[in-house]
Amino acid sequence: MKQQSKHIKQATVELSTAQLAREKAELERTWARPRGVIGWLTDTDHKGIALRYVVTAFVFFLFGGLEAALMRIQLARAENHFLSPDLYNQVFTVHGTTMMFLFAVPIMTALGIYLVPLMVGSRDVAFPRLNAYGYFVYLTGGILLYTSFFLNIGPDAGWFAYVPLAGPAYSPGKRVDIWAQMITFTEISALCGAIVVIGTVFKMRAPGMSLHRIPLFVWAQLVTSFMIIFAMPAVMLASSFLASDRLIDTHFFNPAEGGDAILYQHMFWFFGHPEVYIIFIPALGFVSSIVITFSRRKIFGYTAMVLALIATGFLGFGLWVHHMFATPLPQMGQGFFTAASMMIAIPSGVQIFCWIATLWGGKLSFKTPLLFVLGFVAIFVLGGLTGVMLASVPLDLQIHDTFFVVAHLHYVLIGGAVFPLFGAFYFWFPKWTGRMLSERAGRWNFWLMFIGFNLVFFPMHQLGLKGMPRRVYTYLPETGWGSLNLLASIGAFILASGVVVFICNVIWARRVGEVAGDNPWSADTLEWSVASPPPNYNFHDLPTVNSRYPLWSRLENSPIVRGLSTVKRETLVTSVLDAQPELRFEIPGPSIWPVLLSIATAIAFIGGIFTPWAFLVGALAAFGVFAGWFFGDPNHENKTARNTGERSKTPLTNKELQPGEV
Amino acid sequence: MSARLVIDVSELPHHEFDTYDPVWWGNNFLLAIESSMFAILIATYFYLRQNFAQWPPPLGQLTSSLNPLPDPGYGTANTILLLLSFIPMILVDVSARRGYRAAAQRGLLVCLLCGLGAITLRAFEFSAVKFYWDSNAYGSIVWFMLGMHLLHLITLSCETLLLTVWSFAREFDMKHRVDMVALAVYWYWVVGMWIVLYAIIYFTPRVG
Repeated sequence: MKQQSKHIKQATVELSTAQLAREKAELERTWARPRGVIGWLTDTDHKGIALRYVVTAFVFFLFGGLEAALMRIQLARAENHFLSPDLYNQVFTVHGTTMMFLFAVPIMTALGIYLVPLMVGSRDVAFPRLNAYGYFVYLTGGILLYTSFFLNIGPDAGWFAYVPLAGPAYSPGKRVDIWAQMITFTEISALCGAIVVIGTVFKMRAPGMSLHRIPLFVWAQLVTSFMIIFAMPAVMLASSFLASDRLIDTHFFNPAEGGDAILYQHMFWFFGHPEVYIIFIPALGFVSSIVITFSRRKIFGYTAMVLALIATGFLGFGLWVHHMFATPLPQMGQGFFTAASMMIAIPSGVQIFCWIATLWGGKLSFKTPLLFVLGFVAIFVLGGLTGVMLASVPLDLQIHDTFFVVAHLHYVLIGGAVFPLFGAFYFWFPKWTGRMLSERAGRWNFWLMFIGFNLVFFPMHQLGLKGMPRRVYTYLPETGWGSLNLLASIGAFILASGVVVFICNVIWARRVGEVAGDNPWSADTLEWSVASPPPNYNFHDLPTVNSRYPLWSRLENSPIVRGLSTVKRETLVTSVLDAQPELRFEIPGPSIWPVLLSIATAIAFIGGIFTPWAFLVGALAAFGVFAGWFFGDPNHENKTARNTGERSKTPLTNKELQPGEV
Repeated sequence: MSARLVIDVSELPHHEFDTYDPVWWGNNFLLAIESSMFAILIATYFYLRQNFAQWPPPLGQLTSSLNPLPDPGYGTANTILLLLSFIPMILVDVSARRGYRAAAQRGLLVCLLCGLGAITLRAFEFSAVKFYWDSNAYGSIVWFMLGMHLLHLITLSCETLLLTVWSFAREFDMKHRVDMVALAVYWYWVVGMWIVLYAIIYFTPRVG
């Protein structure tokens, strides 16, 4: 801000190759990532953490997909006995829980954690250790769910675990407790990710990247993070109430003692509907990046796009009751939620039309990422239309809890999130690994998934209209649902083969894929200005930007930032609105404390399933970890400053500073 | 050799208070999360109240003459203590900003005592509620509200303890002065949240 501007000078300087090489060596030493098992546990590099999230979430995606395949085998014909009713309940519960909590939300956050610092021109995220902690907590939650599933005590009350079914009276045993604590783990992780992203976007942007120059991808991540902050506490409370009803006999959801089962639905969907947008809005960011790059044009209606994202974020909180139209709520209230549910079509429509307008006059380059985006538009529009249908109370009552809803939610979530995500994989894989995925395999991948997807889920609309309820393990031949179900099951295997093609493509590309170079797509955002994969410190000299499309507007003429340390992990902190340089901020390095804290968290919440005392033990352990975290660091900041003095900054030159004209 | 236009940031400070520092933002967003949590908790309180003809419910057939309302004595004492704790915490806040180490240390010690006092009084507050958590939904929600706030009193006191020890044992450096200012924000938030909960738990049942 104004106060700091006196500390900043502009100049033209000569940088010798030898000097740059020396700085590079110093930066590499300073930002070196620890190796080995201990290294894996202590690393805090945002790119490393993000790729871990991507790989872990993708593994869970495959697990979720296998569970879907099991269900499709079971439903392929009437009166099938492939899965027992109890196992079927576990499979659909674990499938839904995995896809929502262990795949969709984390992988969207992961792409933000990888790309946001690079796109805004920072060396790392604002809170790298919080980021590492978030990953370990997420991993704990995932392992907890699958351990229980493989031990045949997996949750079985559906992915939203409605009471009274999930309450102590109807779900004895530990199954639902495991679900409730898994929710806690994944929500903590999502909240950590949200704070990391907001901190980075607010305070770490390159000088010149004022609010109206932030890439749309970053806007999407920012809006999502705010939604997480206001939505996730609801489900954490809902699952805590559920757990305490089950474990210490509270009566939040017990009508006999003044509790209320509908309360659970309110709390769950106050989170659950925004959750859909938490998954979907980052995908809108991928789509914008891909559309801009492959149409070779600036986005049509940037301001409208940003406002539409923010409007979607707000409206997303006014829709939750449309999941509860089948409960006895006042009609007036239902009318309000119908109106809000239909209103959400407006910002979505604005964005779709802005993308079409951008694509319209552009020189389209039909690479795989763009194919996935076009597939997204087609599928998502269909899902949106059935959404408008479901927003109408009479129609919703008719098809509530049928396969129509299953079709709708998969059109919205797979169309709205998974297709853009695969587009994003093809788009950013070169940046992550330095190699290109095969275009040819990419086309196979896309068409198999697109055709397979529509074969699985389009018939479900009709099955729902014909009255087939969701979550039944089998049906009678007389219902006449057999042929459409068989079609859907065949489609599932085509869809799965598309995913197999993708995995083969990744394995092939890692070994022999074409070398990508810095910017294979001639894209516009800052992550493409550095090597692929990027160095640990991201940017040798932090950039400054003077437009929304820095790489298209001659970045090399824009000043670079000099004067940051090369022997400490320093990055630039800038002001929230105008991105004016404010501080030289030292980012914490590798640390063992985040993983220890996640262990303390695990003691509290996993132990809490068996005894409330575990919370006390976990809390004491957490305090010990915090004390160690606080005092255990060798006071690196002051020590390095003393030992190396002020010689450690990237010097301007040996010469005097020359005032330059800008 | 290549000539580049540069901006030189080598004179920028490393730390600064309030909106300059990412820590300030991180702290405030954590508080935003907790604020949404308490907002939903309060909404739950009033939602459950709709299910009761009398709130809190009567203490039982034989003892219907007894007053089921929570005794406000300990809660009021706690409120006064927490309001008074503003004084040492403002002292910490101001001294951290100006770099007065001794004053900050004294303020932190007094705050620590206030925190421990508030935790102790909270224990008595639970006994002033005429129901247990497993008696009925009223008992569940009130215990939960008091408990969640207790959790914040404990984390707040632990954080104060760590910073107090730091201020005596280590340097009074900018990084930790920024932390003390963030601690003050957290402290004000915890006290402010208690005023709201105090009014809801002890007084809203008496009106309407």
